[in-house]
Amino acid sequence: MPRPHAAPGRRGRGVYVLTAVMALGAVAMVAPFVWMLLTSLKSPSELTEFSWLPEQLRFQNYTEALTAAPFARYFLNTALLTIGQTALTLAFATSAGYALACTPIRGRKTLNAFVVILIMVPFYAILIPEFLVVKSIPFFGGNGVTGQGGTGWLNSWWGLIIPHAIAPIYIFLARQFFVSLPEELAEAARVDGLSEYGIFVRIMLPLIKPAVITIAVFQIGAAWNSFLWPLLITRDDSLRPIQVGLAIFSQDPLNVQWAYLMAGATLAVLPMIALFIAAQRYFIEGMASAGLKG
Amino acid sequence: MTAIKTEVAGPKAGPPPGVTRRPVKDLRASQKRAGWVMLAPALIHAAVFLLLPMVMLVALSFTDYQFLGAYHWVGVDNFLQLMSDDRWRTALLNTVLYTLVTVPVAMAIALLIALGLNSGIRARGAMRVLYYMPQVTATVAVATVWLWIYQPDVGLANSVLGLFGLPPQGWLTNPNLSLPSLMLVGVWQGLGAKMVVYLAALQSVSRDQLEAAQLDGANRWQSFWNVTWPALGPAHFFVFVTSTIASFQVFDLVFVMTKGGPGSSSTVMTYEIYEEAFQGLKLGYAAAQSVVLVVLIGVFTLVGLRLQKVSSDA
Repeated sequence: MPRPHAAPGRRGRGVYVLTAVMALGAVAMVAPFVWMLLTSLKSPSELTEFSWLPEQLRFQNYTEALTAAPFARYFLNTALLTIGQTALTLAFATSAGYALACTPIRGRKTLNAFVVILIMVPFYAILIPEFLVVKSIPFFGGNGVTGQGGTGWLNSWWGLIIPHAIAPIYIFLARQFFVSLPEELAEAARVDGLSEYGIFVRIMLPLIKPAVITIAVFQIGAAWNSFLWPLLITRDDSLRPIQVGLAIFSQDPLNVQWAYLMAGATLAVLPMIALFIAAQRYFIEGMASAGLKG
Repeated sequence: MTAIKTEVAGPKAGPPPGVTRRPVKDLRASQKRAGWVMLAPALIHAAVFLLLPMVMLVALSFTDYQFLGAYHWVGVDNFLQLMSDDRWRTALLNTVLYTLVTVPVAMAIALLIALGLNSGIRARGAMRVLYYMPQVTATVAVATVWLWIYQPDVGLANSVLGLFGLPPQGWLTNPNLSLPSLMLVGVWQGLGAKMVVYLAALQSVSRDQLEAAQLDGANRWQSFWNVTWPALGPAHFFVFVTSTIASFQVFDLVFVMTKGGPGSSSTVMTYEIYEEAFQGLKLGYAAAQSVVLVVLIGVFTLVGLRLQKVSSDA
């Protein structure tokens, strides 16, 4: 059992033992990823019975996987979905957070409480009515003015991107950071004749850059990993993101080609791991500050 | 610092010479207007995609809506029917069990990891990255990896058991083992976020108090219980509430790995809702199930609040 708070002066064998134990745990945590990578490089014959390491690294599994299922298309769709949601969130969640923190609108406190309550709404519970709302968007997908008669935003980029962007948690995070900025900054800009929107875009937004990056990385993660919503509203491969494609590819356990599936899984997790390593500060501090301030 | 441009944006004429401020009243009005303009898109979005669905959910749960054709108001029939629905009861019990096992177990392990990382060991930055990694990767992708690990004949899990001389298990095919197998993946994937919150909380524990406790002759265990543990209250609360809400909504793992099977041994509430609504098209019935899910999440969150209050009053 790791000891709490090793005393400063008492470094010694204890530290090395603890380091070894923690390192073992860390290896266990990433073992499934290592296994995924190893499997994705094995030949079909090596997968019919158990083996630890591939005899030779079979990189053509990746090119073959891309033809076994339209993984390239899925990958592109996920990228578009992620870019779309992140752009919407960055534009509208930060501006809403700014409005709640720094403008003298009436009912600001109530609105803020409202946002906090909305954070708690469990997505899986409102799945059904949300589906019906998206199906009934007027003038889309053959719908009339009443939103009936067609498919609305189902099986469209609109439905894929818009409903789950601008989540209340991002509005709340942005507000928390704007609240901590001194009011004098906006005042000074106002005296200089900058418009209210100019103050937001040119003065205040750049000051919370770390928060903006945190919001972006969380939104990118949520979009890249989203599954159930795209599963429900997409009907064909030209819209399906990679998580949905992977799940469908894996659903035939008797005939599934594990090497290709693991190659697909590697493609699906690699961008997020890369982003995480590049921006880990924002992942970790964002999580921690949400936990302590929230 | 930031360069502030002095031109006036928009078609409005600039202030008259010598006057740098517009009248205060005008200024407040324009600030308010700008506030509403900036808030409006997010508010409309939340109203359409969160608030409206919440209201519709409650209304739907009292109907026999089936997607096509006419539907009727059926009062509490759906809820009465839920009570005698064996599969739903299993799903409810499985979900509660999944939460009651994974949340405390993952919290305990995450706290131990955080304590370990916080105690002056080597390479903590690298280790923190490795422990957090499952958290950033998609549940669907890791579920396919675990599906492969749990394969009975060629899977890694049974080979590891074999190393210790243990017999192979039907991880996902044995009804007694399918839910625990999912729990294991759930705990593994959720450790990172919890660990990070605990790490941040540990770093805010007062050094002075710890030193004072040591001067008073407290051993490590005593100073942990008397100084560190009480300071972790808010972190416990946050981790408990967020992970309870998340584990009540476990879906991706079940969908990819077991489809709720064998039988109904590993089904959960969200999976039943999905099946009833989008495979069986019984949307009214599934809406009633969703209402139960919301209520249960609410109850657990309130319990968390209560526990937090009790422990901070003590």
